[in-house]
Amino acid sequence: MSEIIYVQPFDANFTTALLPELILVAGLFALIIIPNLGKATFRVPGTQIRLPYFLGGERYSLISNPRLPSWIAVTTLVLAFVEVLMTLDGGLQRYMIVSELLPTTINGATAGDVLVNGGSHIIPGSSKELLLINGFSRLFEMIFFGAISLAAIASMNRLQSFNRSDRSTNALYNNRRQADFYILLLTAAMGMAIVALAQDLFVLFLGLELASFSSYVLVAFHKESKEGTEGGMKYFIVGSVASGVGLYGLSMLYLWAGTLQLGELSVAFDAAMAPQGFPALPLIALGFILVGFGFKVSAAPFHFAAPDAYAGASSPVAGILATASKAMGIIGLTRMLLIVASPESNDGSAIWLVALGILSVVTMTWGNIAALGSDNPKRMLAYSSVAHAGYMLAGLTAIGAWNWDPTLAGPGGDGAIMVMTAILFHLVVLVCFKLGAFLVLSILESEGEVSKMSSLRGLSKREPLLAVSMFIFMISLAGVPPMSGFMSKLLMIMGIVKISIGNMGDALSNGDILSIGDAHWVWWLALIMVLNSAISMFYYLRVIVTMYFHEPEGDRQGPLPGGWQVRTAIFACVVASVFFGINADGLIELCEMAANSLNYSWASQ
Amino acid sequence: MGTISNVSDEVREKLVNPIRWAVLLFSLGLLGLTTAMFYNFFGELNGFEGIAFNSYEFTARYSWVGSLGIYWSVGLDALSFPMVWLTTLLLPVTIIATWNEKNGAFYHPLLLLMGGALIGVFVALDLFMFYVFWELTLIPMFFLILKWGGDDRKYAAQKFFIYTFTASVVMLLGLVTLYFLQNPLDPLAYSGTMTGRTFDIPELVNHAHQANMNGNWFLGASMQKIIFAMLMLGFLVKLPAVPFHTWLPDAHVQAPTGGSMLLAGVMLKMGAYGMFRLPIALFPHALEYFQLVLMAIGMVSLVWGSIVCLGQTNLKKMVAYSSVSHMGVICIGIATMQPMGWAAALFMMFAHGIISPHLFAVCGAFKHHYHSMEIGAMRGMAKHSPWLATSMMFAWMASLGLPLLAGFVAELMVLIALWHFLVAEGWSVLWMVGPALVLAVTAAYYLWSMQRTIFEGGDETQPPASMDGQPIPDIGNHEKLAMFVLAMFTILFGVMPWIALDMMNDWSIQIFEGLIMPILGNFNGGV
Repeated sequence: MSEIIYVQPFDANFTTALLPELILVAGLFALIIIPNLGKATFRVPGTQIRLPYFLGGERYSLISNPRLPSWIAVTTLVLAFVEVLMTLDGGLQRYMIVSELLPTTINGATAGDVLVNGGSHIIPGSSKELLLINGFSRLFEMIFFGAISLAAIASMNRLQSFNRSDRSTNALYNNRRQADFYILLLTAAMGMAIVALAQDLFVLFLGLELASFSSYVLVAFHKESKEGTEGGMKYFIVGSVASGVGLYGLSMLYLWAGTLQLGELSVAFDAAMAPQGFPALPLIALGFILVGFGFKVSAAPFHFAAPDAYAGASSPVAGILATASKAMGIIGLTRMLLIVASPESNDGSAIWLVALGILSVVTMTWGNIAALGSDNPKRMLAYSSVAHAGYMLAGLTAIGAWNWDPTLAGPGGDGAIMVMTAILFHLVVLVCFKLGAFLVLSILESEGEVSKMSSLRGLSKREPLLAVSMFIFMISLAGVPPMSGFMSKLLMIMGIVKISIGNMGDALSNGDILSIGDAHWVWWLALIMVLNSAISMFYYLRVIVTMYFHEPEGDRQGPLPGGWQVRTAIFACVVASVFFGINADGLIELCEMAANSLNYSWASQ
Repeated sequence: MGTISNVSDEVREKLVNPIRWAVLLFSLGLLGLTTAMFYNFFGELNGFEGIAFNSYEFTARYSWVGSLGIYWSVGLDALSFPMVWLTTLLLPVTIIATWNEKNGAFYHPLLLLMGGALIGVFVALDLFMFYVFWELTLIPMFFLILKWGGDDRKYAAQKFFIYTFTASVVMLLGLVTLYFLQNPLDPLAYSGTMTGRTFDIPELVNHAHQANMNGNWFLGASMQKIIFAMLMLGFLVKLPAVPFHTWLPDAHVQAPTGGSMLLAGVMLKMGAYGMFRLPIALFPHALEYFQLVLMAIGMVSLVWGSIVCLGQTNLKKMVAYSSVSHMGVICIGIATMQPMGWAAALFMMFAHGIISPHLFAVCGAFKHHYHSMEIGAMRGMAKHSPWLATSMMFAWMASLGLPLLAGFVAELMVLIALWHFLVAEGWSVLWMVGPALVLAVTAAYYLWSMQRTIFEGGDETQPPASMDGQPIPDIGNHEKLAMFVLAMFTILFGVMPWIALDMMNDWSIQIFEGLIMPILGNFNGGV
């Protein structure tokens, strides 16, 4: 792995380091300005001089295409995505953005030179590490930009005018919401990118809130429909409360440790957990922060707003919630649980182990069982998101136990790496099939509401290719080979089993008599996960059966509307779903590299 | 092919014929290939005899997911080859028998897909690949039942999928646990770069063999029993063995003819094949430990299946339950832990795989031509549909174990092995009376159903009410051809069973002497 280059904001290396994010900012500016280029002028008071200004006025008079904002947004996002991919290719150069650096060093090198661990560039005590660009963050940026760009592509033809009966292009002229929607998408992407890069809890929170507020408005965007308003309000209120609680936890951490830097916090936590027992304040803080991030990940019992939010939002936005927001929450959880309150800080296993284990079991089971009773496809997918969050939480629990028995723990660091790889892999392929499922629903939405399962009826007759795509997405979600959903679930099971078994293999071959009870109790998490997969098969099959078995509903006949953009996006998702199931090696190695770069004691083995 | 043909309905109609013929020729080509493999065409062994245990022919190995030790590893040995040949035989026969199935442009390629997945299960020599293909067989069968099935097909398709999927994921957990109980510090060949462990079956079998030979239970007693149980759950549900058999009657009754033929002919054998391939080779101690349980399950399946058959009025359901009871015979054969018993089980898999598609083809023709599957619906069939009546009589006789037909050899061998088992265990031989009598019950229900459908009525035969007074047809040429082919092979393997039996016997003796005897000692007097 290359050395870290320390960069100060607006420094020499700043643009190279933050290129994808700067692309986003540029796109954002473009999106605000370009559609507003019009004849809007104002008269300088006291004179007859008219000066143009960029707000208000006839938005589309100069740039006549009302789809322009969507094109700008999509171009920006895809560019950012490609740029992230390019940095991942051929070795990743890690950057650390710090708040300030000394202009020169003792040895005469200048700021921007590569130094081992920053050398003497860092001003101890006042130089804050803000953003770290490494494999982990780039992978997450890939997830975010990929998901949001797919959602943006799917929304390109979809924003109807206020007046529902008028769907012509002309009506879009009067639609002031085109630009707003895409601006919000871009700010959400910005926020998520910041979360991925953050090394300071305050910066993390900043990015989190930026993305969250954008998503609140996105969920409530179609305010003329009842479900949209209701879902948006619920999501906003619950989300704000959760963020507030999370912020309270962060402030308690700051109170206790005096710093919000992740590195310093983990050192302080380690020292505090030493033999004299657990101090209460950081643990309470940890609990509160768990609530905040748990809401984002839609873990039970913090998930209650999720079904309504997904059902009320338009499908591409719901897809973003299901994939990118969840990834954002997982970043938060990972940073908190694995860096700050790391498993090594307590002898044997992490403090939060049992709590997270219980949480993951409740989440998995609740999500799967609630989905069984859902008639609304978006609600069903929301609950399945909850269940998938449960699987990932089970993975995180297993990481917490990686050091569980010194006598039996062999090269245990590999187990933790494997689970982390699995979680990352799962998040990447979740974009493919979960977002893909939402994209199919978005096509269905463009001809009418998708609030009942019956709207999916007969899809195989109306649009066979879409039905096949939905079929692939559903069985991928359930974990049927050879799709990527199976690969990700298998990797997670493998990781959990590996950690729970530890070094039992060696012990067994030496003649020890061991039984399954000697494995760590996280093994049972793997069993519960497997049984939950079987339960989830019920409702995924129900969708498939509805598509293939029933006749289309009365007023929904014939092929579906919706242009080539969203179908291309769906096709890309299908190809990715199947490809990563069959040829997973490249992606697994990428995720492994990202997991290694989390840079902990268990990663260095 | 199906996607292309979906351009429009008219195109779909026009493309049916070329697609059907293409699929048929392809499957016939496969059959030729496997037969050639058997007859030393490629310069390999002759007839798979004399292969040492755990060595395979026609192997290939490609790295698939290198970081985890997953390889695309295929190979044939005397255990899997008969199954592969059986699949390639059944594919063209099924295609011919259901030539006129509606929506043929999708139906026939789907059959081919099913056959491909099934062959994949049998040739897989890598645990991951084995599992992938195991699950992959569920998808085409699900669609076959859902789109071409009977009235209650929605329920049956979902029940089939979810029931077997649940058992399979438990099996998956067992496989993964087995995988991780290898020692990464002393990795076997073909291990993953990230995990240091391998999914490769021959490697694992060797490793287990070494561990078992040293006098210990491989993986320790408790662990071995648990993993054995988890793997067996998956296989027993697939077999299907009582009490996990309830998906089969629904699936069979609602499935289309072609689906039933492949389901009964090959898919059920996947369970037995898995039992041979994995638990027997890896966990002989656990097999001995659970021997009586397995024997009990087999006997209960045999008895239950037969007695329930007596009470059936739906023809296809009766045949489905008879499949359950025949699979019980296989289970008994495996549980005897005698070379003859294992060879018998293998031959039963093979023979049942030829006979039961015949049974289901007859049922399908019955449904197709008489629009009803009730046993009493059509009486005096011999007068109106002589070909169908003849085929039905032949298939029924084959299934109940008429000598000179394939089923008899298998049943006889199982009974002999059972006798040896009972004698060696020191149990009363009267325990044999049960299964033997039940085989008589098998004859009873078959004969009774034959009597009711074919022979009753004499000259005043009544056409079934479902025909609405239309003339009663006989079976078409394609059905005749398919049934004839199956009948011929039934006779062939009944009169000359050694063609297949030799390699099965060989394999059983190999595994018994190479694996069981050294490990478990002088065991049951070995026959």
